[in-house]
Amino acid sequence: MQEKVEAQNILSMNSVEVLYDNVMLAIKGVSVQVPTGEMIALLGSNGAGKSTTLKAISGLLKAERGRISRGEITFQGTDITEVLAQNRVGMGICHVIEGRRVFEHLTPDENLTAAAPRGMSRSALNAEKEKIYDYFPRLAERRNSQAGYLSGGEQQMLAIGRALVTQPKLLMLDEPSLGLAPFLVEEIFGILQKINQEEGVSVLLVEQNALAALEIVSQGYLIENGRVVMHGTAEALKSNSDIQEFYLGGGEETDFHNVKHYSRRKRWLS
Amino acid sequence: MDWVFLSELAINGALTGLLYSLFAIGLVLIYKASSVPNLSQGGLTMVGAYVVLALSHDAGLPLWLAIPLAAVIMFGLGFGIERVALRRLAGRPVVMILMLTLGLDIFLRGTTLAIWGGTSRSVDLGVSYEPLFLGDIFVSRIHLVGAGVALALFVAFMLFFRTRTGIKLRAIADDYMASWSVGISVERGVGLSWALASVVAVAAGVIWGEIQGVDQALSLLLLKGLTVAVLGGLDSILGAVIAGIILGVVENVGADLLDPLVGGGSRELIVAAVLILTVMIRPHGLFGRHDIERV
Ligand SMILES: Nc1ncnc2c1ncn2[C@@H]1O[C@H](COP(=O)(O)OP(=O)(O)O)[C@@H](O)[C@H]1O
Ligand SMILES: [Mg+2]
Repeated sequence: MQEKVEAQNILSMNSVEVLYDNVMLAIKGVSVQVPTGEMIALLGSNGAGKSTTLKAISGLLKAERGRISRGEITFQGTDITEVLAQNRVGMGICHVIEGRRVFEHLTPDENLTAAAPRGMSRSALNAEKEKIYDYFPRLAERRNSQAGYLSGGEQQMLAIGRALVTQPKLLMLDEPSLGLAPFLVEEIFGILQKINQEEGVSVLLVEQNALAALEIVSQGYLIENGRVVMHGTAEALKSNSDIQEFYLGGGEETDFHNVKHYSRRKRWLS
Repeated sequence: MDWVFLSELAINGALTGLLYSLFAIGLVLIYKASSVPNLSQGGLTMVGAYVVLALSHDAGLPLWLAIPLAAVIMFGLGFGIERVALRRLAGRPVVMILMLTLGLDIFLRGTTLAIWGGTSRSVDLGVSYEPLFLGDIFVSRIHLVGAGVALALFVAFMLFFRTRTGIKLRAIADDYMASWSVGISVERGVGLSWALASVVAVAAGVIWGEIQGVDQALSLLLLKGLTVAVLGGLDSILGAVIAGIILGVVENVGADLLDPLVGGGSRELIVAAVLILTVMIRPHGLFGRHDIERV
């Protein structure tokens, strides 16, 4: 029974704690499961620990002097807690980091080239690029201009395209909607859904924009203060009164005093 | 002033300037990957020259074999420096890496002094010192050869930065974190940039060693090389080439005009003025990027 669950989850994160600089406890026992082929959202307000959770999975924590001090992460049944970030990319985990971060002085085409895995042939890379330009026609038009001068939406598309070149099995995105107009968010999320369906890529989506995220995912986790305080299907979360009040009500600041309240809610939800 | 004489000053200045560029290209390679001016580039250049001498004069290999072999050895040394020293400093403030390169320079000077002593040795490239006249203008053959080497390296690196490996190196120069996120090995890329800069150091070491002899003074080329790199924009190879030519011409022509007035020594003043004015008026140099801020 336990093994069957493992096989169904491409990613399983169990009671993970993360320390920055050996002192700052940023997440305090987070457990998240991503079923193979599904799209899962990680919701929560600023500072909740969402990005830290993604960095723990991708291994980028190390670059910020963070480390996993407890718990473990398995990817396709293998414990990856000690695997180097670059090798995790090779295994199929790709993290589209917060703030787009395209290679500004490279063209979009070169951005895609830069992400090519070792040993990918030139023809395979070109085919991959064409596929990405099919998903994002806006990028195709500007493939040879400087990436730093693309609009925010185009840069986000490029960041996602660049991640796709690495041939991910699990694509993690950190607030891809940040600062984008609603129509662009809708466009990008639509494409993510298409990628998920056509390529079978599992997706872990971090968002503050719960409204948009819950439209495309099957399940969501709500993180507050470094802990998962709620987990349920997208439908259940959308109809939850707390979520409605604090996340769907027009995006006002979240009130941290309600964290306890969530914890209580969690009990009857599960 | 005599027109022929002035062009002679300018042309020889430009050739000398390209030799500064030859040195500065190494600085630029490392700056691009690490955002730090490598203060040990002078030391590497000196070591490059000594390794060539060790292989040719001491071990008896012909120069055409000793130079490429020295390039291979220095390539390995460059990688080694990243592996042994730099990797430990990942994530530390850039100023710490800067201090490390300063320490490395002192270390390299001390090491060569201990092994080969401080007497100046000659390379004997075999380039003739017969005057070469282009029309009425006299040019130095070794400077012409060195300028050719600088331009050849420039073209080679322009092509290299269009290859997949070159593009990955430019990506590293842009954003470490984003590079890691798509599986680029930043450490290996930084190592490669040091390795390539060390190969450039062999070229610069041989040419400058031929011109001024091989001793610890070769490492002082750093001062003019840095001036050229800063004027060019620190992260632009094209900038290093053009800034080298500019500095060479300004220095040569300027010194000829000023020396009679101040009684000599104006070369250093001109170089100092170019460095100081660049930093004050145009900190990003002629071709530098404007948005580099990495810690
Ligand atoms: N590099 C870091 N060093 C120290 N503390 C950090 C670092 N990154 C994040 N934190 C802290 O960890 C907590 C969680 O941050 P983060 O994961 O970025 O939250 P979110 O992405 O949900 O906004 C915050 O309190 C934040 O201040
Ligand atoms: Mg975040």
